[in-house]
Amino acid sequence: MKNVVALLIVAPGGLRRTEAEVLSAGRRLADGLGGTLTAVILGATEASWDGDAAAYGADRVVHVEHAGLAEYQAEMMVEAARRVCAALQAEVCLAPSSTYGLEMAPVLAQKLGAAVVTDVIGALGEAGQVKITKPVYGGKANSELIARKAPLVLVMRARSVAVLERKAGAAAETSKLEVQLDAGLAKSRIVERKQEASTGVRLEDARIIISGGRGMGGAEGFKVLDELAGMLGGTVGASRAACDQGWVPASWQIGQTGKKVAPELYLAVGISGASQHLVGISGAKHIVAVNKDEKAPIFETSEAGVVEDYRTMIPALIEAVKKHRAAQGK
Amino acid sequence: MHLVVCLKQIMDPELPPGDFRVDTQKKEAVRGSANLVISVFDENALEVALQLRDAAGGGKITALCVGPESAVDALRKAISMRADEAIRVREEEFPALDAYGTARLLAAALRKLEPADLVFCGREAGDWHGAIVGGLLAGELERPFVSLVAGAKRAGDAFVLRRQTDEGWETVECAGPAVISVTNDDANQPRIPKVKDNMMAFRRQIPAWGAAELGVQASEMNGPNAALEFASLGIPKSERQCQVIGGESVEEKAARLAQKLADLHVL
Ligand SMILES: Cc1cc2nc3c(=O)[nH]c(=O)nc-3n(C[C@H](O)[C@H](O)[C@H](O)COP(=O)(O)OP(=O)(O)OC[C@H]3O[C@@H](n4cnc5c(N)ncnc54)[C@H](O)[C@@H]3O)c2cc1C
Ligand SMILES: Nc1ncnc2c1ncn2[C@@H]1O[C@H](COP(=O)(O)O)[C@@H](O)[C@H]1O
Repeated sequence: MKNVVALLIVAPGGLRRTEAEVLSAGRRLADGLGGTLTAVILGATEASWDGDAAAYGADRVVHVEHAGLAEYQAEMMVEAARRVCAALQAEVCLAPSSTYGLEMAPVLAQKLGAAVVTDVIGALGEAGQVKITKPVYGGKANSELIARKAPLVLVMRARSVAVLERKAGAAAETSKLEVQLDAGLAKSRIVERKQEASTGVRLEDARIIISGGRGMGGAEGFKVLDELAGMLGGTVGASRAACDQGWVPASWQIGQTGKKVAPELYLAVGISGASQHLVGISGAKHIVAVNKDEKAPIFETSEAGVVEDYRTMIPALIEAVKKHRAAQGK
Repeated sequence: MHLVVCLKQIMDPELPPGDFRVDTQKKEAVRGSANLVISVFDENALEVALQLRDAAGGGKITALCVGPESAVDALRKAISMRADEAIRVREEEFPALDAYGTARLLAAALRKLEPADLVFCGREAGDWHGAIVGGLLAGELERPFVSLVAGAKRAGDAFVLRRQTDEGWETVECAGPAVISVTNDDANQPRIPKVKDNMMAFRRQIPAWGAAELGVQASEMNGPNAALEFASLGIPKSERQCQVIGGESVEEKAARLAQKLADLHVL
């Protein structure tokens, strides 16, 4: 296995962290296998993506051009990806960890007759094999898999890949691949898109995250978290339990099946610390917990914690932060 | 309208980490006293199907599981939530199934059933988090696949699906028949079965189909994932030490916590 392909699905604007992660993981794999990395850009291309793909390590960039790829449409994208993987004789194909990448991966693999693994946190190329690490049982265990045969489709877990340093000015051989796609392939259509409101910056990019769980007891409880986040310049997140209750939008969910975040500070409030939640915050630099139960497992992963009811603790913390800042003359 | 919900029976994923053990020889979790449950998102999937059927004022829901004898309990639970039919595919006849094998068995069962308008899976199984069986199944059946659906409505022959994305929501119109994977949402919290429905389900005989009934060869079910060597399963170590911030009063604790945040350079 030498021929590594990173699939990039075009979105408005420049290359985002998701794409940088696919390219970085692909570069490392190609190096380990002594092979090459081809970035395949699916969709109406923006010129800046070429340079970015090269800057993150692609040896070659291939644009797949077709009017039907202007926007994400599952069947068209999968068929385009299948054609290009066949044309390039892709041996390892990395799909992005986005909603669309994860949707495409198994369908594409099925069409390519490829083994497929998602939510991978380690992919090591060595002696023609790929050693895969995938957490299982909600992060309570890690499994190691060895792929000896191509083709292989992989999706890395978001935020589990350290992004390579951008090499400005790096160049890659760029080409276009025309594909014929029958419009009749499309069986579904996106008729509406809605962006969910968030407080502050996107969770994935936030430096400070204040998260609430079932212990908040209701939507009302999130108001104090909001106030604290506002003071600290942070963003509010949540556990699945809080999202399932409808207290906050589903897009605030952090964890195995939510966002993967890597803030400087993660303050967990009224969250018990189930492994499936912790999976989402393993990239956090400092984890601090407020929970009224001293036995809550969240304390085992936190570097500091307060055993207290959040209803008294968070307002008191807000006051303490004000005082602290006043004392510092801020 | 025929809706088929694929559900897997798993070890309760809410088992606390402290009670979690693995058998490194067998490369699986030790069940111990943990319950067997329907995989979480599969219950959400069943709930979406139930709401769709009830809104349409009719239709049939079949729950389908590839599992061992014990999986009858998961299927009975689905019946108690008011699925109409349930079928178990005898996993014991297909040792060491890979995800392709599971998808192919589900596809074989679907071909034997009354044609399905919509097939439901969970977004990922709550034990191994494969997140692939739904897509593989769609591929095997040559049907469209829409992932991360939170709710579904019927519009003529098509389905209007509300799906979660990285940024928020999308409405996807999809021609039936299709395969979808379902994610959790406040609108699809699984209903609690009524006591009388539990009793009714308890008495239900659940048919089981094997290689003979499905007209397949056990040796031919597996796909490319079977070629992955499963080298090991282990529990990762965590080495964080928690500093408990105490104090005589809430105010004192708060002041200390604020100082701690300042020390961490986040204030
Ligand atoms: C396949 C799978 C995927 C999952 N994915 C995710 C995921 O992505 N994200 C996620 O979060 N979960 C996920 N879960 C669910 C996870 O297992 C837990 O059920 C969930 O994280 C629990 O949320 P919680 O900690 O808010 O609630 P609980 O576990 O109920 O904890 C509530 C906590 O609040 C404390 N508390 C109560 N009142 C107060 C108060 N007044 N002040 C302070 N503390 C208080 C309690 O002591 C308790 O510790 C997943 C589960 C499965 C099976
Ligand atoms: N043994 C099984 N029987 C029935 N459905 C299954 C089985 N395994 C997986 N599925 C379905 O496929 C979904 C995704 O599973 P996985 O790809 O294994 O994470 C699950 O949520 C189920 O809906």
